Amino acid sequence: MLDLDQRRFNRLALGAVLLGFVLLAAAFGAVLLSQSLDRRSNAWVQHTFKVVDGLNQLELTVERSETAARGYVIQPDARRRQTFEANRDRFAPSLAILRSITADNPRQGAHLDRLTPLLTAERDLLNQVTTLADSRGPRAAQAMLVPDMEKRRVNAIRAVLSDMRQEELRLLNMRVADARQASRWSQLALLVTGLLLGLLGIATFATVRRYTGQLDAARLRVDQLNTGLEARVKERTADLQRVNAELQRFAYIVSHDLRSPLVNIMGFTSELDAAAKVLTRLIDTVEADAPQLIDEPARLAAREDLPEAVGFIRASTQKMDRLINAILRLSREGRRNLRPERLDLNDVVPAIVQTFEQQLAKLGAHIEVAPALPTVEQDRVVIEQIVSNLVDNALKYGVERGGHIRIAAQQRGALTEVSVADDGRGIDPKDHERIFDLFRRAGKQDVAGEGLGLAHVRALAYRLGGSIDVISQIGQGATFRLVIPTIYREQEPEA
Amino acid sequence: MNQHNPVGIVMIEDDEGHARLIEKNIRRAGISNKLTHFLDGGSALDYLFNAEDGPRHNGPALVLLDLNLPDMSGTDILEKIKSDPVLKRTPVVVLTTTDDKIEIQRCYDLGANVYITKPVNYESFADAIRQLGLFLSVIQVPENDAS
Repeated sequence: MLDLDQRRFNRLALGAVLLGFVLLAAAFGAVLLSQSLDRRSNAWVQHTFKVVDGLNQLELTVERSETAARGYVIQPDARRRQTFEANRDRFAPSLAILRSITADNPRQGAHLDRLTPLLTAERDLLNQVTTLADSRGPRAAQAMLVPDMEKRRVNAIRAVLSDMRQEELRLLNMRVADARQASRWSQLALLVTGLLLGLLGIATFATVRRYTGQLDAARLRVDQLNTGLEARVKERTADLQRVNAELQRFAYIVSHDLRSPLVNIMGFTSELDAAAKVLTRLIDTVEADAPQLIDEPARLAAREDLPEAVGFIRASTQKMDRLINAILRLSREGRRNLRPERLDLNDVVPAIVQTFEQQLAKLGAHIEVAPALPTVEQDRVVIEQIVSNLVDNALKYGVERGGHIRIAAQQRGALTEVSVADDGRGIDPKDHERIFDLFRRAGKQDVAGEGLGLAHVRALAYRLGGSIDVISQIGQGATFRLVIPTIYREQEPEA
Repeated sequence: MNQHNPVGIVMIEDDEGHARLIEKNIRRAGISNKLTHFLDGGSALDYLFNAEDGPRHNGPALVLLDLNLPDMSGTDILEKIKSDPVLKRTPVVVLTTTDDKIEIQRCYDLGANVYITKPVNYESFADAIRQLGLFLSVIQVPENDAS
């Protein structure tokens, strides 16, 4: 089955609409054409009638004038002469009308050319006969009429007129047949157009139906996917939180259980130290009283090896204690209940900056807080810890004498981004992940620290449902970007 | 100076190193009271409640209690001591590595008299124990009715 995508459907729909318009226009055209053909054929019929009527009139006029003239010759009276003259005078106008309405037809023109001399001759003869009747009496006139009658001029006139009538009827038949043919074609065109429109309608309907069906199916799939996705996300989140909770319990237990042996190590190291001091004093005494009893290794063991060993054990144990405390603090941080509240960063950030005043004065550094910071609904303590850790970091590792730190924040949809940028020595991109790891540090190790700050900050950011990253190049300062939900949403309760 | 103090010290501590360090420092503080050490909660409870010469039947005592024991929680022992009509007057000093606030609060709620966190720093540890000696020398332990 042909799959319809959005673009394809749009093209098809547009094509169908255009085709529909073209077909409608064609149908309209066909109707107009057929109407105009009808009108033309009607006009031709009228025209023919008009010509035939003209011809009949002319024939009648000729007949009447002849009859009147003949009557006058037999028995002259004024009424007959009047009838004759009236009909005789209509010859020329009738002929002129016929000529004008058959001007388009050369054959009728030829017929008229034949008719004109006949009519002129008839008129002249009738004029002569009536004049003769007046001057020489009816007999002379009758004598003149007889030979003329033999010429049968009137019959010739009738024949010409009949030919013309025939011709006109022939033309009419031809024209009407033409018009009928054209009308049939236009009706056929209309029918075809109608059929095509119908087909187009059916095709369009089918396409739209299929497309709608596909849309419905797609929506259903999306719905199912969404539901599945939500369930999966919930599952994953629950998994993550369980793992996180386990990890925190683990960290808590480990740090406590590690502390116990550490107490012993420290305690007995001190005991060892005290014992070593006693022994050293003994060696001092013996060396003073009986030097031959003391050899070099004994002296070295008491005076150098023992104190050195004790010193290293102590230093390492102290460091280990600090690390364990750090893990403990991280695990405690994760267990604290968050209390989201409305925080206007325009108040919160400057308050944090204020706590660094002494350090800033010592370094000659300056912190700039961007204007018009957004408001978030988050845990105050956590936000303060994150921001002050970042500022502290920037002061410790980033900013050099007279440096500059800029704190900005903006809301992006449901998230708010807080950035702390310094113009210090920068961080190598290959270290960008490492600096967030527990106990890991990067760059020149010239400032004391355990490598906890950023690990702590990241744990806190995750806790708020956010994340943190860094943009930096060596020598170009560093920008730490914290992205958190603008409004803290309680995650699923821990399993 | 506390030579004639009849108070016996009962130490319940599973870590022998810690026990040793505690005892050393107690002795260094000049406290020579009898010290009985138990490595687990069961035998300690048995001594406290049932032994002929134990605190329940014979004389006042001071209990040094670690919370992390192999067989039971130190808080269980604390609860048992403090709910016994006789033993409830026995001072209990909780000595443990946990500095969890909730845990500390719970111990005081259960009737612990002193709570000491074992610091890793030995000097602080020794100080704490010596102060405990001082504490031991000033408190007046009431005579047991049963004796």
